Amino acid sequence: MKKTIALLLALAMFCCLFAGCGGQGGNTIKIGVYEPQSGDNGAGGKQEILGMQYANSLTPTVEIGGKTYNVELVYADNESSTDKAVSAATTLVSAGCSVVLGSYGSSVSIAASDTFAAAGIPAIGVTCTNPQVTEGNDHYFRICFLDPFQGTVLANFAYEKLGASTVYCLGQLGNDYDQGLINYFKEAAEALGMTVITAEFPENNSDFTSYLTTAKNEGADVIFAPCSTSYAQLIVEQTAAQGLNIPLLAGDTWDSNVILNAAQGKDSQIYVSTFYAEGGDPDFEAGIKEWIKGDATNLANNGGDDMVAAVTVMGYDAYYTALEALKAAGSTKPADVKAALPGVTYTGVSGAIAFNEIGDAERDTAYIKMANTETGAWDFVAVQGVN
Amino acid sequence: MGKTLQNRQENKLRYLPAIIALSVLYIVLLLLDNVLPANTFTLMLIPVLRKGAIYSLVCVSMNLLNGFTGLFSLGQAGFMLIGAYVYAIFSIPADQHAAVYQYFEGGAIQFSIPEMLGNVLGTNAGNFLGAIICIIIAGAVAAVFAALIGIPVLRLKSDYLAIATLGFAEILRAVFQWNGLGAITNGSNLLRKYTTFTDMNLQLGSITIKLHSLFPFLIAMLSILFIVLLINSTYGRAFKAIRDDEVAAEAMGINLFRHKMYAFIVSSFFAGVGGALLAMFQTTIQAAAFKTAMTYEILLMVVIGGIGSVSGSCIAAFLYIACSEWWLRFLDSGSFLGITVPFFRDGFRKVVFSVIIMVIVLFFSRGIMGDKELSFRGLISKLQKKSKKKEEADNG
Repeated sequence: MKKTIALLLALAMFCCLFAGCGGQGGNTIKIGVYEPQSGDNGAGGKQEILGMQYANSLTPTVEIGGKTYNVELVYADNESSTDKAVSAATTLVSAGCSVVLGSYGSSVSIAASDTFAAAGIPAIGVTCTNPQVTEGNDHYFRICFLDPFQGTVLANFAYEKLGASTVYCLGQLGNDYDQGLINYFKEAAEALGMTVITAEFPENNSDFTSYLTTAKNEGADVIFAPCSTSYAQLIVEQTAAQGLNIPLLAGDTWDSNVILNAAQGKDSQIYVSTFYAEGGDPDFEAGIKEWIKGDATNLANNGGDDMVAAVTVMGYDAYYTALEALKAAGSTKPADVKAALPGVTYTGVSGAIAFNEIGDAERDTAYIKMANTETGAWDFVAVQGVN
Repeated sequence: MGKTLQNRQENKLRYLPAIIALSVLYIVLLLLDNVLPANTFTLMLIPVLRKGAIYSLVCVSMNLLNGFTGLFSLGQAGFMLIGAYVYAIFSIPADQHAAVYQYFEGGAIQFSIPEMLGNVLGTNAGNFLGAIICIIIAGAVAAVFAALIGIPVLRLKSDYLAIATLGFAEILRAVFQWNGLGAITNGSNLLRKYTTFTDMNLQLGSITIKLHSLFPFLIAMLSILFIVLLINSTYGRAFKAIRDDEVAAEAMGINLFRHKMYAFIVSSFFAGVGGALLAMFQTTIQAAAFKTAMTYEILLMVVIGGIGSVSGSCIAAFLYIACSEWWLRFLDSGSFLGITVPFFRDGFRKVVFSVIIMVIVLFFSRGIMGDKELSFRGLISKLQKKSKKKEEADNG
């Protein structure tokens, strides 16, 4: 009995070895999707993938050097963890991808960077905002704005529009995104003459009462909490429950229907900076909503409703930027795509994309949105730039 | 013990098959690094082998504690964290400090051991020796922490020890992430740009031989060899005596606390070495990855391999890594052998993986090897027995 099971298991594993060697017919070009589909950022990663999948469903082929290629998206789940990054990235390299899109979350992008570099495959960061992703690399590009920019924008907004003089910053200990953004926010805010108090909460924390009470006691006018959505939800609920009446301010991670659902019907003010504001392109939005609603899997991946997240829009734009790069390269070789990428320009739903010498898209505006607690939607507040 | 008078000739030949197998393995690894073309198969094989070798070492070091000394410790991830960070901190080149420690003005430590040695001995030799020195420092620092934490913690037994070590690992992670130490640990941010496996090259005149995959195997093998020798020494016998019955062991004159301490320190030293190798493998390191889940993963490998079996731990480590990082990935891709399967999508791999683990734990509760060891002699004699049996069956 035992032997039979052992043999069967061994056989099953052996079969898996050849599973990857399925038939590749005709002209197919592979675009790698390096995104978290599980772990802390799994929800965000899935929404980002939705944008790429929608773009792929609209434009499944690309003409490269006079030949039409079918575009195949190859997925690798990095599990939101840097220790799974290398093998996830290697999966894409070994699948023969010409270009890679991703990831949601900067640390996993940085962790995979060397693997892509060694294979000579260019990567397009979709919503990874840490400067280190592209800095000192010639293969990593990025279509979104950076943390120094976002931090400054948010500080300006808090100072000009919310009239804050004291800001309480709350981030997760050990999360480089939270700490990085808070760092830049603090720099900009202190330059504007605001008082900044910072605090860190440990991983898996679920009670924010003491942090919120401290914020109140310190006389904070704004709470800046750019943490991941799972904690954001709790912060929103507990702020409302305590009746704090202090506006919450956050970065692009909070632009999610999770936050809206948490805030709905509560007395809270939530402002986020993001890549895209609803209504920027009604045709696109109508199309993608239709597409999301048309498939149960897509709907589940989008968190159960048809709200278009900014990361989905960014994923959509990233896909077309990759196609532009492939067209410009005139070949499917990663090296050619890499050489062509710096010169690629594309005007997407989220705005114009052109890369500077570091490989970052030139972005000079961020959208500030406010959660409407009655309708459960985002209300556009302002386009904020850096003065 | 009665076999000590066995003729020496046989004793010499005893390790021959193992030595041959090891040399074959090393030649294959060298070929993989230097000659064989990069294709779908080798590209995936190389990282899996490297990570497998690293995890083998970590599993064996955990097995030394849990399997051979009977101390149920769950601090492995914490010691790996120390090892990984110490290694990375001492091997980031000086000119990269400003970029890595972007929020902490370039950090407090402004030198790199591989780079300093490289200036004297040449880049390749410097990287190689520097990495080895950093790995040893990494292990040593982990061992020092183990000695300090061992004094209060090793007086506890079973579950309490597990909880204390688990807590220690968690505290350690929080300390490494604390911004107050940011100038050294880079706070919550990644450490990167340090010496990695791809810097491990051997310079012979004008020929460069790559040791990218050989290096982790070499370090892991030497470390495991040390642990095996320790287990087979008087210390090892004392460890096993403690595991089997503490009171009896004490009555035999074994100093319980001292021996537990030895096991704990040695285990932590090699966990630190494993952490350093993991840092080299990943090319970036972040404290957030060293969660309790990592300790559980290692514990699972030890259990699957067989508690109290070194070779079992190694086999389980390679199988586990290969399954989780490679063989089962197709379950996420949406199609199998060209057939589209709707439920084959993100996350399904983990479901199947859990089922396999449950089957193993239910049907092979003692793991792959139990407490036996895999040996080439044993394998050969087993095969001989089998063929004899078959002969008998055929004759009968």
